[in-house]
Amino acid sequence: MKTDDLIDALARDPAPPPAPPAPRRMAFALGAGLLLGVVLLVTFFGMRPDIGAAQMPVMMKAMFSALAASVAVPVLLQLAKPGRPLGWRIAAVGGFVLLSAGIVGVALIGGDPTERFQLWMAGAFPWCVAIIPLLAAPTALLLTRLLRDLAPTDLRASGAALGAVSGGIGAMVYAMYCPVDSVAWVVTWYSVAIALCAVLGAFAGARLLRW
Amino acid sequence: MVEAEAELKRLMLAGLAGDAAAHRTLLAAVARHLRNYYRARMRGAPEDAEDLVQETLIAIHTRRDSYDASYPVTAWIYAIARYRMIDHFRRHKRRGGDHIPLDDAPELFTAAEDQASDARRDVMRLLDTLPAKQREAIQLVKLDGMSVKDAAARLNLSESDVKVSAHRGLKALMKLMADAGP
Repeated sequence: MKTDDLIDALARDPAPPPAPPAPRRMAFALGAGLLLGVVLLVTFFGMRPDIGAAQMPVMMKAMFSALAASVAVPVLLQLAKPGRPLGWRIAAVGGFVLLSAGIVGVALIGGDPTERFQLWMAGAFPWCVAIIPLLAAPTALLLTRLLRDLAPTDLRASGAALGAVSGGIGAMVYAMYCPVDSVAWVVTWYSVAIALCAVLGAFAGARLLRW
Repeated sequence: MVEAEAELKRLMLAGLAGDAAAHRTLLAAVARHLRNYYRARMRGAPEDAEDLVQETLIAIHTRRDSYDASYPVTAWIYAIARYRMIDHFRRHKRRGGDHIPLDDAPELFTAAEDQASDARRDVMRLLDTLPAKQREAIQLVKLDGMSVKDAAARLNLSESDVKVSAHRGLKALMKLMADAGP
């Protein structure tokens, strides 16, 4: 029986050398992706001119984005190896979404009622929805390479988690350019941009993450 | 598979620790489970079921470092088996229409191309099971068409080392392909 021959052939194959742990490799990919995103930003968009004076809002926006990425990282890591349930990790993502909705609510209630709509929509086109996925691309490529090396078996969910993590990193970079400091505006549109990255990732993942 | 968990986990951990005999026993036991699993789900296509058994065994072997010992090994095997089946359906979805209307004849050529790429992928999968040195030598010299000299420089090996690795690797690959069957 041929399958038995295959088993013999496989059994003669020596054990693989242990690979570095996945979390460490992912941390490296995220760091490199962040740096490449900053290079993209500086090359094509530049920093916001008043970045020195606006350190506080820039930091807040970057921290919100980093939080978004860091609730998606455990999901992505868990999905990278077969047969592991998500458990609390998915609840953490849900908690983050609720927290974001809460922040937008508080920011709007605290604002002047006549300016509420202005605070939320800022009367400007939310360019971040288009630019954040762009700045997320280097991270997404590095994470795709890493994940293909591991063994994700739910490609759609893995792709979505990969997109969300990359989107969070892209948003961290975008915070250095983003000229709008309204909390309600930032939380709303950054979340939309990161969710868009997750949707793109879910579609691309089914193809790109195959192994 | 529930009763099998304790025994399979013991074999898996021993195999990962370098016990080749335990690894072999594990693969043989898993093959029996997989055969039941796929035969029940691929009624009317027993060859496809056996192909999937082999593909999954290769996946389980080459990706065995993806097993996280804090979870059941049967869940790990089941996830891979399910993934390989979904991947199988995805790859074969576009085939299987024997009665193609005349108007759609050009699609025939598209289908033929798909089959070629499928075959190539299968070789790639087997190639992955070779030791790294042999795999890289074959990739560079035989598949990318690089000269032995350039490949040696790239891999930081002597030229004769590259030649021997590519040759040994090809022999091993041919054996694997013959064993894996059509």
